[in-house]
Amino acid sequence: MTEPLVLQPKLDLPAAAPLADALKARLDGDLTVDGKDVTQLGALCLQVLLAAAISLKSRGHRMTLTHFSDKVVKQMAQMGFSPETLAEGRS
Amino acid sequence: MSDQNDPMAEIRASFFIECEELMEALQDGLQELEDGSEDPETINVVFRAVHSIKGGAGAFGLEALVRFAHRYETVLDEVRNGSLHPDSDAMKLFFLAADHLSDLIRGCRDESEIDEATSDELLTRLDALLGEDSVSEEVEPETFEVQGVSLDLDLDLGEEPDDSATVYTVRFKPEQDLFATGNEPSMLLRNLCDLGEATVRCNFADLPSLQDLAPETPYVEWIVELKTEAAEPEIRDIFEFVDGLCELEIIGGAAPATLDTSGPAEAPSAEEALPPPATGTADLISDDAAPAESTSAKVVPMGAKPAPPEASKDGEGERKANTTAAKSVVRVDLERIERLVNLVGELVINQAMLSQSLDEAGLSPHSDAMNGLEEFQRLTRDIQDSVMMIRAQPVKSLFQRMSRIVRESSAAVEKEVRLVTIGEATEVDKTVIERLADPLTHMIRNAVDHGLEATEKRQELGKPRAGTVTLTAAHRSGRVIIEVADDGGGINRKRVHEIAVTKGLVPAEAQLSDGEIDNLLFLPGFSTAKQVSNLSGRGVGMDVVKTSIQSLGGRITINSEPGKGTTFSISLPLTLAVLDGMVVNVANETLVLPLNVVVETLSLGKDDVQMLRPGHYVVRWRGGFVPLYDLGVMLGYRHHRQTDPGSIVLLIVLEDGSRAALVIDGIQDQRQVVIKGLDDSFYRAPGIAAATILGDGQIALILDPADVISGMGHIRGTDLMLSERKIANE
Repeated sequence: MTEPLVLQPKLDLPAAAPLADALKARLDGDLTVDGKDVTQLGALCLQVLLAAAISLKSRGHRMTLTHFSDKVVKQMAQMGFSPETLAEGRS
Repeated sequence: MSDQNDPMAEIRASFFIECEELMEALQDGLQELEDGSEDPETINVVFRAVHSIKGGAGAFGLEALVRFAHRYETVLDEVRNGSLHPDSDAMKLFFLAADHLSDLIRGCRDESEIDEATSDELLTRLDALLGEDSVSEEVEPETFEVQGVSLDLDLDLGEEPDDSATVYTVRFKPEQDLFATGNEPSMLLRNLCDLGEATVRCNFADLPSLQDLAPETPYVEWIVELKTEAAEPEIRDIFEFVDGLCELEIIGGAAPATLDTSGPAEAPSAEEALPPPATGTADLISDDAAPAESTSAKVVPMGAKPAPPEASKDGEGERKANTTAAKSVVRVDLERIERLVNLVGELVINQAMLSQSLDEAGLSPHSDAMNGLEEFQRLTRDIQDSVMMIRAQPVKSLFQRMSRIVRESSAAVEKEVRLVTIGEATEVDKTVIERLADPLTHMIRNAVDHGLEATEKRQELGKPRAGTVTLTAAHRSGRVIIEVADDGGGINRKRVHEIAVTKGLVPAEAQLSDGEIDNLLFLPGFSTAKQVSNLSGRGVGMDVVKTSIQSLGGRITINSEPGKGTTFSISLPLTLAVLDGMVVNVANETLVLPLNVVVETLSLGKDDVQMLRPGHYVVRWRGGFVPLYDLGVMLGYRHHRQTDPGSIVLLIVLEDGSRAALVIDGIQDQRQVVIKGLDDSFYRAPGIAAATILGDGQIALILDPADVISGMGHIRGTDLMLSERKIANE
């Protein structure tokens, strides 16, 4: 099993590009994204995660989001997602 | 293009004025939070203040301000949503952040250098609060959010037709610049959800693959169905600061039933007007508690309270907000007000001239002209009072500045200090407020540095660890009294006396009373500090404070009790523009004395005057004696004292309660006079406060009687008290 990708605490504008780079390097297999340290999830990083989920799905891999705090789950919900729907990149 | 004609410059200037108001609200809110306010509206006010500053700053590209406000706001948001419960350290940090925010605003306004180092330091500390909070959250699931919202929702939807609620469909698509200005869609969406029940859908049909994605470019849009009692402008307000930075469409007016059913039956226009989020949409409910499981449910969003609590929100906090909102305000350039004040001053002078002309014309007091004049005088006074009210401002803003001084100075000398403010609503002329800032700052620093004992010493003495500095404002007898009191050790009079002797300020053999020793603090160059601290001890101190207060027509007195503390009282005129005066004659000169100091007029009897010692006389008054001064001699108009029987004497009371009797030649009138400040080109003569123009066009000097008496020698103030004491002993 591959190492989970541990996200940075603040997923805001400056974090979007590094997050995209990190995810691009992990599109070749199933990916677990660990959100244990995340305190803030902004729209741009959410978008990056969503794009990664869709890309993974199109390649036959799956993304799993784990250990997100209630607070961050709530932030996702405010933007119309849950960890499950985001990981599946689904509508 | 000059700033005057540049609309952007005007808007920018107006933004900074708004910032002042927002900072005031922020400070108020923080203070209420520190005082234990549990009203949810309090943190909302605090949050909104920072948010609004950030929004405005973003519009003007003030990046340093946006950056700081954004992260400050993020932490406040945690408090707002109940995730973070600030302890006293956090509150201190919030105050520091507010202070720094104020500095940043000023820096941006004046285009001066921004203190990025302090920003970074404070942001690191603020971020640390978030970090700790996120850990604690894991342990303590947010009770605030769980609060059975879904249950309440069911009840609400079932029981309340909620006639006033309307369903809006809001389409929101952020643009890249929205992020660059520190805004965050999740925050906006959250605020939107706070307005009522919301279903949030994300349309990501335009989202490219990860390989093609530019991470800092937004591709998605949100469609929110919002059932709310709020009106459309309130919804638009949420997006006020991202105007031009996003696409926003609000379609509203559908019946509330729309949300109860999945069909769009009653909101067809919304559905038709908006692009269907067909491909790739996430349709989720913005529920706090159970997002994953609630996919098919309609749940009240976070922060949105069910109807009954919503109604209770209309309680105290809402009322408070409404009270503020109800006050309609017009911003007027101060110059215009100054002009109006000057014109009213001229009106008063003209009215006095007219009055004098009619007097000289020998008209009967019952004639129509004289009756008309009386009415004219009354109207003039009313107009004057009203104009003065325009310039009057609560001292609150000044006091808020002082709370910052307390924070900073207590940190500098490592003492715990609590500032208590009383009478913040007391109104004082704006000019006075502005000119009070420096002397008050100095007095507060003195109180913190010298007045209060070190924390350890306080504990040894059985006093509370934290010292208290109390700042009070009140109207008393037509004047404004501002007091700075500390609960420290009181003035060390022995040491003050020693220093005064060492510095040659008083003769070694001088026997001074407590009050006289206290007054030594006001002597130029006096300082008791053994070491020069960051705050004080440089020997430039209370004498400067005293001079500043005197230049405002005010007076400062000290009251100190060993072991219990010291109180400095400043007494100021309500306005610097007009004065109720007594017009008197002295050696063929016309002078004006403030009416409020004159308590009695006497006519000297044969045996009323006694000589205390050569050159020092007293007058018998109601069984006691009061020092007697000839105003003509004191002002240098004549050399020989007029103490003949029949001479007129004004008995005056000074701020410290001491009395003095002034010999004058005659009383002309009691009237309101317009104060005309003496230009800087006139040297400051002791005892002369200002000048005025009388009805006959003559210029008369306005006296400051206490200064006339105390300013003749370097400790003449104590001289007066000495005389009184000697008289009492005799």
